[in-house]
Amino acid sequence: MSGLGLGLNRRIVVIGGGIHGLGTAFHLARLGFRSVRVVDAGYFQGGASGRNGTLVRGGFASPEWTRLFAFSNQRWIALSRTLGENVMYTRRGYLIVAESERTQRLIEAAVPLHRDCGLSSEVIDPATLKRLAPSMATSTVRSAVQLRDGGVAPHHAAMQGFLKAARRLGVVVEYGKAVSAIEQDGSRIAAVVAGGERLPADLVVLAAGAQSVAVAALAGVRLDAFPQRIEALALEPVRPVLRPAIALPDRLCYLHQSARGEIVGGAEVAERPQDTLAVDLPVMATTARIYAEMFPAFARLRILRHWAGMLLATPDWGPLLGPHPELENLWVTTGWSYGIAGAAGTTELVAQSIAGDRPHELIRPFAVDRFRRGKPVTDGSIVLAPVEHPAAVP
Amino acid sequence: MIAFTWNGRRLQAQEGDSAADALRRNGVRVLAATRKRHRPLGWSGSFVQGVLAEVDGVPNVRLDQVPLRPGLALRRQNAWPSPGFDLLKAFRWLPARWVQGGFEHPRWLASGTGRFERWERLLGFLAGEGRLSPAAPALPVVPGARRRVDALVVGAGPAGRAEAAALEAAGKTVLVVTRGPKAVEGVETLTRHEAFGVYRGGRLVAAAPLDPSQGALVIETAELVLATGRRSCPPVVPGNDLPGAMDAPTALHLAERGIDLGRVVVVGTGAEAAVGAALARAGRVVATAPVASLRAILGRHAVRAVALDRRIACEALVHAGPWIGDPGLAFQAAADGRLRLTAGSLPPGVRVVGGAAAPDEPVHVGDLAAARRAAVCPCMDVMGGEILDLAAAGMTHVEELKRQTGCGMGPCQGLPCWEMLRALLAKATGSAVDDRPSHRPPRRSLTVAQAAGLAELVEPQQ
Repeated sequence: MSGLGLGLNRRIVVIGGGIHGLGTAFHLARLGFRSVRVVDAGYFQGGASGRNGTLVRGGFASPEWTRLFAFSNQRWIALSRTLGENVMYTRRGYLIVAESERTQRLIEAAVPLHRDCGLSSEVIDPATLKRLAPSMATSTVRSAVQLRDGGVAPHHAAMQGFLKAARRLGVVVEYGKAVSAIEQDGSRIAAVVAGGERLPADLVVLAAGAQSVAVAALAGVRLDAFPQRIEALALEPVRPVLRPAIALPDRLCYLHQSARGEIVGGAEVAERPQDTLAVDLPVMATTARIYAEMFPAFARLRILRHWAGMLLATPDWGPLLGPHPELENLWVTTGWSYGIAGAAGTTELVAQSIAGDRPHELIRPFAVDRFRRGKPVTDGSIVLAPVEHPAAVP
Repeated sequence: MIAFTWNGRRLQAQEGDSAADALRRNGVRVLAATRKRHRPLGWSGSFVQGVLAEVDGVPNVRLDQVPLRPGLALRRQNAWPSPGFDLLKAFRWLPARWVQGGFEHPRWLASGTGRFERWERLLGFLAGEGRLSPAAPALPVVPGARRRVDALVVGAGPAGRAEAAALEAAGKTVLVVTRGPKAVEGVETLTRHEAFGVYRGGRLVAAAPLDPSQGALVIETAELVLATGRRSCPPVVPGNDLPGAMDAPTALHLAERGIDLGRVVVVGTGAEAAVGAALARAGRVVATAPVASLRAILGRHAVRAVALDRRIACEALVHAGPWIGDPGLAFQAAADGRLRLTAGSLPPGVRVVGGAAAPDEPVHVGDLAAARRAAVCPCMDVMGGEILDLAAAGMTHVEELKRQTGCGMGPCQGLPCWEMLRALLAKATGSAVDDRPSHRPPRRSLTVAQAAGLAELVEPQQ
């Protein structure tokens, strides 16, 4: 039980000011920790937390994913009250649409699991689907599951909410402050050097998204993950034509229409992981092809912009959560691919786990060393292309 | 004469007119409105929002790129319940600060309540502007094409023509892409096409025809020459987005079409006298002056006067400078980064030539008190005051300002708004702002149907 002697006076340095870094810092401060400091190499909302598709769902196909994300979904609904800020979470519903027999079986079988986890989840009939998503072409659709509690959290509102709430509780948050060194004292981190300043640390939380591997390397430890570019695009605004958020697992595509009227989404293509924010043509063309097939009315809309964000991909696409096995006082919350969906709840769980020095049971399946133990947490319902892991994972 | 309709009203115009020409010929100056406050916008050559309308039932069509056809039905969008009886115009009376960045998530309408869900639906309706029927007939995918050339020249102005001719003479296969109607003599030219994105360090360029029924292209090239010229940046003074304020190329085009501009004041950075002389046949040029002497453009629904050292009544304010380049394609060729895209030096094989290579002229910013009422990004209703207040509160990172205000996130996608933002910020902070947000393709240059036609033409990187 390292560090507990210092209790709430422990100096905590959170590396990464995205939604998980800010959220974990907020919850740590809320639990009474008096010295919480967040440093980030980039600018506010500059990372994946400001570039994502903003979709939130609680229901997946595996119990591990669903338990964690269902908890987080509930926390999203309450988050404005928790933070005292309007995070704009809209419970507009989330449709998982199956076009293959395999996906149909998978999502329909998951409905009882969703309900066990307290989610409103049901298989909807074609007429209901037509009513919920009149712009969708349904000829290839075999089945759809509606998650009523799912929806959309525009990242700018959530990020501002967490930032303001964290600062109100005394958390110091600084952007443009890159970590250049991590000083160690035996198997512990003694200090983090960021922006030329030495920050003594009793505990470090690594929440640096795609940069986490490089930051972990400064501490001499490895993460079983690699940076990967994900791209998305926004169509020009039109009056509301699509209410629910939609995932098309068979096409690795997701989309929604934002409160700005833009249709925002993207599809995955199988490519070698790219470590850059520069975009490429295949994702734009593939996404457009899927829209043209599945949402024929969108075919005449113009594409406003196309951008990329970077996430940290893990072999099972699940996050890396909990203490790092090789350093006593390093906690990790990174490797997120459904980072917005998981943020409202997991930040709370990670903070609680740190306070109790024991990973909460919902995050335990996502332990940092699970791949080395041969225990990945795969989920068949996620909208991400399987990739060959570039680094060999034992 | 060709008959068409505007909001159901029958009008006539001439053969060869664009829809925007035709409306202007009929004295229609207000074509659109800003996103939130519904302030009037017209054809400016600077702000795309001012020429977006519904054309034959298709939303968000650029009127200046639509050739007039008999029976064309043009309709103003972002009006409710109808353009003739538009209650949304009432938003014009909202104080600017009520719709500044963050207005959409006030604490008193917090999420997790039914009240918020209704508010959010209302936001989506108001922000949506164009109408798209969910049951609109399917539009077939427009097949694209892939080309391979030794050299691609973007732009067919003097510099582009010279470059293209020299490359052709050197025995290379050359392709020119230009928005304009004129081909370069002796060189294969895609006219009325827009090169909208540069990928893979300049090796791949994507272009789309202005006509959405034609396919887009991916061009693989060893050499890329950007001869995209310069454009005149609107001044950062009150009234800079009023219908009747326009850049010199737009005014000259209207003059060439024989369309009356009324009384005209021309401001500029040296070209104002020449532009004034060229415009004399289209209107009465009542004054020419350096842009630096412009204090405000006056009018409620359209330009009625300008304030120089004195007030001059006019119907058009034409700006001929400051001249700035379009940084988009060069940025995309050079940009890389993990935390943020930043442009280093251009990759080998990519060159910027002609006016586009000349240093930008400083954007005119009026005195700061007045600049508070200037539009920085009219489409998104970002006014100078909002930027100045955020800068005073310590927010000076251009990417953060973009995310906070929405500046540059409308149909222009940052040009000219970010240039105006930078100039205003520099004046407010007293130090140069050598930075702008990432220029992201494709800047509404192609439809989903056209982009879908590019699928399978480019292999993902393996």
